[in-house]
Formats: sequence, C-alpha cells, structure tokens
Amino acid sequence: MSKPPPPVSTMLMRGLFEENPVYRLALSLCPAVAVTTSVKNGLMLGVAVFVVQVLSSVSASLVKHIINPKIRIPVFTIIIAIWVSVMDMTLAALFPHIYEEVGLYVKLIVAFAIIISRMELFSMKYPVVPSFWDGFGMGLGFLAAMAMAGAFRELLGNGSLLGFPIVEFQPLLLVILPAGGFFTIGLIMALYNLVDVKLGHKLPEEKMGGGHQHG
Amino acid sequence: MEKQAPPDLREMVSIALGLTLVCLAAAIILGGVYFLTEPAKVRNVRAREQATIQELLGLEAGARIEEVRRYLSWKGKHLEVLYLTPKRLVRVDETGEELETYSVPVEVETAQSPDAKDEWVMEAVNAADSDDFGYVGRFFVGLEDGRTAGYVVEGVTPGYKTWIRFFLAIDADFGVQGLEIVEHEEDPGLGAEITQPYFKNQFVGRGFAQTQDLEVTKDPLPNKWEKALESLGDQDFEAWVQAQRPLIDSHPKIYAITGSTISSEAVTNGVKRALSNFRTRMNVVEDYL
Repeated sequence: MSKPPPPVSTMLMRGLFEENPVYRLALSLCPAVAVTTSVKNGLMLGVAVFVVQVLSSVSASLVKHIINPKIRIPVFTIIIAIWVSVMDMTLAALFPHIYEEVGLYVKLIVAFAIIISRMELFSMKYPVVPSFWDGFGMGLGFLAAMAMAGAFRELLGNGSLLGFPIVEFQPLLLVILPAGGFFTIGLIMALYNLVDVKLGHKLPEEKMGGGHQHG
Repeated sequence: MEKQAPPDLREMVSIALGLTLVCLAAAIILGGVYFLTEPAKVRNVRAREQATIQELLGLEAGARIEEVRRYLSWKGKHLEVLYLTPKRLVRVDETGEELETYSVPVEVETAQSPDAKDEWVMEAVNAADSDDFGYVGRFFVGLEDGRTAGYVVEGVTPGYKTWIRFFLAIDADFGVQGLEIVEHEEDPGLGAEITQPYFKNQFVGRGFAQTQDLEVTKDPLPNKWEKALESLGDQDFEAWVQAQRPLIDSHPKIYAITGSTISSEAVTNGVKRALSNFRTRMNVVEDYL
C-alpha cells in the first residue's frame, strides 16, 4: 500500500494494450488457441473469464488482511474455484445452450494463469476499488483478445463472422486448425509490437532486458 | 535458498483458521448457488432428454413421453424387480410374477426431479428392509394419439475411459429405430466419432435377430454405405429404411472407427445388450403400461 493505485483509465488501457494477457503477457494461450475457432465461442469464454477475473480480484482484495501470506496461493485457488463453480452452475441453469458448448472450458478457468497472477500482483497490494478496476481491465483485455483471434480465424477459416457469411472464397482450413491458432496469436502479437514501434514505445523484451521467461 | 524456520504455534493457528474460514465461506456460497440453480438445471436436462427422444422416435410436438424407471431389491439371495410407470409401481419377482401393485400419487407423477420419484418408491416398498436397493435404469414410451409410437431405452456401456451413455430407439417389433450418444468422454477425433452419423446410424433399421448377430469389423467403411448413413436425418426414418434396405442387409457388420475399435465394440455390445434386456423386460411390464 506504499504506492497509490494508478488512475482507472490507465488500468483499463493496461489490460487492453500494454499488458494484454494474451498478446503481451502470453498467458492462458492454451484456451485462447482451443476456443477461438469462431467469434461466438471466443466471446463466450471471454465473458466467463471476465466475470471470474473481476469477482476473484475483488475477493482477494477483501480477504488479504485476514489471510496469512503463507497460504495466499491455496486461498486464491479456492476463491477462483468458488467463482468458477458459481459460473458453471449459473450457466447450466440459465443458459443451457451456451453451456453445452463452453461447459468444458468454463471448468478450465480455474487453472488460468492470468487470474491468479492479477490477484498476486495487484489485489494483494491495493484496496478493493482499484482491484475491481484492475480485474475489469484485465478481464476486458482477455475478452477483446479472444474476440480478435476468433474474428480473424472465423473470417479466414470459414468466411463468416458470428455465423453470418461475409465473404465468398475457398476458406483457409489451416486457420481453424490448432496450428492456425498459434499463427493467429503470433500475427496479432506482431501487430501489437508494430503499433508500439510506430508510437515510439520500447518493446516489452527491451524493457525487461530481453530473454525473460513467460509464465 | 535460505532455510525457512518452521512456523510457530500462533502462526500455525492463524493459517489453520484462515483456511477454515475460506473453506466455510466457499461451502456457504456454493451451497446457496446450488440450491438456487439446481431446479432449473434439472428442468433443462429433462427438456433436452425429451427433445432427443422426440427426434429419435420422429414424434410430433403433441406426443406424450412416459418414463418407466426400474429398481432392484435384494433380500438375501432373493431378488425383486420394481417398475415405476407414471401411474403405477409394480413389484415382480425374478421370473416376472407379479407380487404387488401400488398406485402413484399425483405429486410424484408430476414431480420434475428423479430424486423425488426414487424417494417415494423407497418409502412405498420399505427399501430399508432390503439388503441392497437401487435404481438401475429406465426407458421411455412415446405415445401418439393414445397409441404406442415406440420406445427409447437409456443404456450405459463401458467405453475406452469411462461410461458411454446412450439412448436407443426401439420399434414395436424390437428392431432398432435410432441411436443417440448422450454422454461420453472418448478421445476427440478417435472414440468421440461414435456420435457421428456414419457410425451410430449403422445400427438403424436392423431387426432384433440381425442386431444380436452384429459383429465389429476393422474393414474400411464402403463409400456408398457411408453416404447412405450420412443421409439419415435428411429424410424420414421409415422412408430411409425402405430406400436403404438392400444396403442395410448387405452390411451385416459394424464398421469400426479407425483407431477406435474399443469404443466401437463398446457401443455395439451396449446396443445388443440393451436391446435383448429390453425385450425380456417388456414381456413383464407390457401389461402395466
């Protein structure tokens, strides 16, 4: 609590651009590749992660004073598991059709590195309100990342967006396949870097002295 | 790395207390949400089941679907079987001889959750006196204009990793009218192909004897047969069977999915067993429906 929290706008932009979970931090790539075969799937998982991220960040910030730091990791895991289970049960009850498609992935959110890393890096140090905005920004960043990758892959691989046919051409099957998911994420990552260079920012690798490892 | 000192007593208590509190909060939240969402979930599962049955039997929207649940009760070496139809609960002995019939109260008949039905049955027959009592399976009767349009049996069979749950639609002559895999955890791209038309439709249109003789072959699926299998669903079941009769009869074996012989055999054996068991049971319960 030594540093004052950054302004809300910075926290939102950070999730979307500077520290985008998928394209900048390269976290949770596995579901990003698996689910983004269409915009709809990507959006649905994105929304689920967004909700879990916000709730978990807020909860972690709420309990940080009564929890011994030595057990913070198991406590974080329990908190995430609570909200994921709540999401799972709510989806199954209220949106059975969506649940049929994303049910499998919703349970996997428990193991998403991005959620626990935000709790550890941010919620442990700041009060509830900034934690909410940090979770909001990061969740939004993940949601946007999933939507982007989904749109790219659905458009090139299927010629449609959100299920509506857009262009008529022989679709590039490769883009839909898992390998295409990595290409897609690599390309969007490159785009992020390109924008940074154009804006005169330093690339993340240079900032950190290069050769750092992703979690 | 520096060696950490073991935590002192105070710290240990605070750790244990913290974890207990968090787990307690988790239990309260999860319990509350479960309590609120479970009825809706049960309703959704039921609606999906009904839709699957309706599609399998080709029923119209106004058709009625009745569920028949089966229970086994062991008293020492003595076995009794119970059938719960919407209106009646019938208790029979091993040979199918009727022992007792109970009528089902309205609130149980209209109950949404299967648990409510099971509880009533256990109470009605004093299940506590049995050494072992349990629900073992169910089937559905599709009724259209008061006439029986067909049956759907729920079956389970051990798959490659865990149980495969399926719905088997059966006509009045105990022939297979359709197969739908309801739940499975086979590997995607391999065993999971059992849900594909080119596999599951291989059972459709076969009579009782033909089904019991089914074997699994590792030969590749002939192109013409595959096309015919894929086309079921585009047209009415009866029209399809009539048109494809020569192809059905000339392919008396089930073509295994490439690389997934175990899953293919699991489904084949499950279908055979479900069908023959159903015929035996139907002889007993027919009169009570």
